[in-house]
Amino acid sequence: MKKIVFYLILFILFAPNIYSQIESGDDSETTFSMPEGLSFSNQMKYSYDIDKKIEIMEDWFNLDYRNGIFSAGFRFDTFQPNDPNPAVNRGKNRYTDFAYKYIKAEIGDKYEGAEFTVGNFYALFGRGLSLKSYEDRNVRIDNNLLGIKIEGRYENFVVTALSGMPENLEQKRSDILHAVDLEYRGLKFLRFGASFLSNQPENETVSRTSLASFRLQPRIWNFDIYTEYGVKQNDDIKQNTFKGEKNIAGQAFYGNLSFYYGDASILGEYKYYDNYALTSSDGTVNYNTPPSTRRDYAYSLLNKHPSALDANNEQGYQFEFNYSFWEYTFLTASYSITKTLPSSSYYQQILKTDNGIVTQFKEFYSHINHQWSQSLYSTLAFGYSEELSSNTKNFTPVFDLRYSIDERNTVRMIYEHQHSTVWTNNEEYYNQSITIEYLRSPKLILSFNGTMQTKEPTPGNVVRTTWKFVQLSYKIGEHSDLILLYGSRQAGNICVGGVCRYEPEFNGLEMKLFSRF
Amino acid sequence: MKYLIVILMLFSIAFTSVAQNDSKNKKAINFKLEDVDGNIVELKKEIGNGPILLAFWATWCKPCVEEMAEYNKIYKEYKSKGFKLLAISIDNEKSLSKVKPYVKSKKYEFPVLQDINSEVARKYYAQAVPYTVIIDKDGKIIYTHLGYMKGDELQVKKIIEEQLNIK
Repeated sequence: MKKIVFYLILFILFAPNIYSQIESGDDSETTFSMPEGLSFSNQMKYSYDIDKKIEIMEDWFNLDYRNGIFSAGFRFDTFQPNDPNPAVNRGKNRYTDFAYKYIKAEIGDKYEGAEFTVGNFYALFGRGLSLKSYEDRNVRIDNNLLGIKIEGRYENFVVTALSGMPENLEQKRSDILHAVDLEYRGLKFLRFGASFLSNQPENETVSRTSLASFRLQPRIWNFDIYTEYGVKQNDDIKQNTFKGEKNIAGQAFYGNLSFYYGDASILGEYKYYDNYALTSSDGTVNYNTPPSTRRDYAYSLLNKHPSALDANNEQGYQFEFNYSFWEYTFLTASYSITKTLPSSSYYQQILKTDNGIVTQFKEFYSHINHQWSQSLYSTLAFGYSEELSSNTKNFTPVFDLRYSIDERNTVRMIYEHQHSTVWTNNEEYYNQSITIEYLRSPKLILSFNGTMQTKEPTPGNVVRTTWKFVQLSYKIGEHSDLILLYGSRQAGNICVGGVCRYEPEFNGLEMKLFSRF
Repeated sequence: MKYLIVILMLFSIAFTSVAQNDSKNKKAINFKLEDVDGNIVELKKEIGNGPILLAFWATWCKPCVEEMAEYNKIYKEYKSKGFKLLAISIDNEKSLSKVKPYVKSKKYEFPVLQDINSEVARKYYAQAVPYTVIIDKDGKIIYTHLGYMKGDELQVKKIIEEQLNIK
């Protein structure tokens, strides 16, 4: 009700301004105009699961106003009811709130100036090893901070200082995070910076947790290097676990090297994260999300098997190679491995465990794209992964073919096959997925997806499960996109850079509406 | 809740139906971002000579890389006439290190900017990628488009030709 009233008020308040008529020049054509500086967007998702009889409604409404150096705005979130999955709803069941509101002032130019933000804000230091406050609706992450942020640029120095409170799982903001980051950008071949963060818990008997990190970013010829090392401190751990003998409670290193030459490029990444997650004192908000060195896939079956990032207990590396054979052929190949840490790690010492190193995740992936003609385009991909969390190894070939009938009309077929073996009982099963799409530029996409899982729990007893849906995507003018889905969808994970969200099996109707004005 | 959905739908559709020309009156929001070579690019310094295309994309997004290949053709054709293309990568810190190697191996000549924490994408309401914005020489937004499918580049090319007075 609160939400309905809100939208009605909003509509009534702004409608007269928004629809204020203006004359557009010589032709006296009548058109409409939003007040200068005002803009808004809305993202709505509604679904009804026929089998479970569950109705879910999620909505994010943004309104922003900009005038000169000032800007202000808010995001109004509505979840009524929210997804029952706790990984999605973050404790918000029937919920409406101004979840994000800010006032910002920006002065100066691109080399010297300052930016002041009061209210909610996001922030990133370096590559997120020590601080990454961000929103990603695909995985339902929003760890914005409420407080003040100041960013200044002067004589090639960039300094960011902030104090803010994250919202925990109970929608309370109790801890305070203080952080400062300084970076020097004066040298073309070398950039360096340092960060310091300290989380002040609400309970004063609990000691603060602090992170301090230093980063170097050399650029030499066709080489780009990024390295960052950080340490974690916590007096409770120092006194209770290490009896004052060790000053640090965790450490992390991330480095990457990329090299490009002609049509080829190579990337190597290394990570070592030992008890380096910085969380609110109740453990429900993560302040940092270090680089995961995992791939994000464009194909659904490759993305179904999760490997979630653990900033407390990970080491590993990733290599990627890209090569353009000639103008119309492009190859990508990558390999990565992630292992747990040895028993000598801070993580295991604090937990008082003595576990050996275990491979958490291993993946190899390659794809080759080729454009056969102006109208025919194909992709052949192959993925192999081994995952500790699901005890599986998975072979996944993918074939993707696109044919343009003419300038506006295209048909596309994607076939994915995944063969999984469960280590614990040697059970084997297959997932096959076929997607057929008709695309009519610029407004319409009609697609059909069928997925079949074949299992043989006992010899000769073959069990097949199928899911199928049709989806229509349609552009309503230039500003809105409507997506309608009807049918069933297999359960699986949606992963973005090591942060995953489990999406349960679904059978019903889903509607998404994206609007921006 | 049904009322709410109906209101939201009507609200969006009503706006859409009357707002087709509205975006022409909207000023592009200024931003400062670094390109993959470490140079700072500020939008307001780029405005003034001809149309500017902002292409929000990511290395992991398949339609984005297809779109980039098409935009590269348009860029090569019209860059000498004042057309500018600013490709804005929203790759986060996990895939950021892949942006430069990818761009270099594709030999893209236009600036590829890095919006690591999606600050600019949020300002432009890039609710998903790819997302295209065209800005005229007066700094007004004249076109936005979410998503990419083969043929979408024709509309973009047409608008750029109109802006450059090419018949």
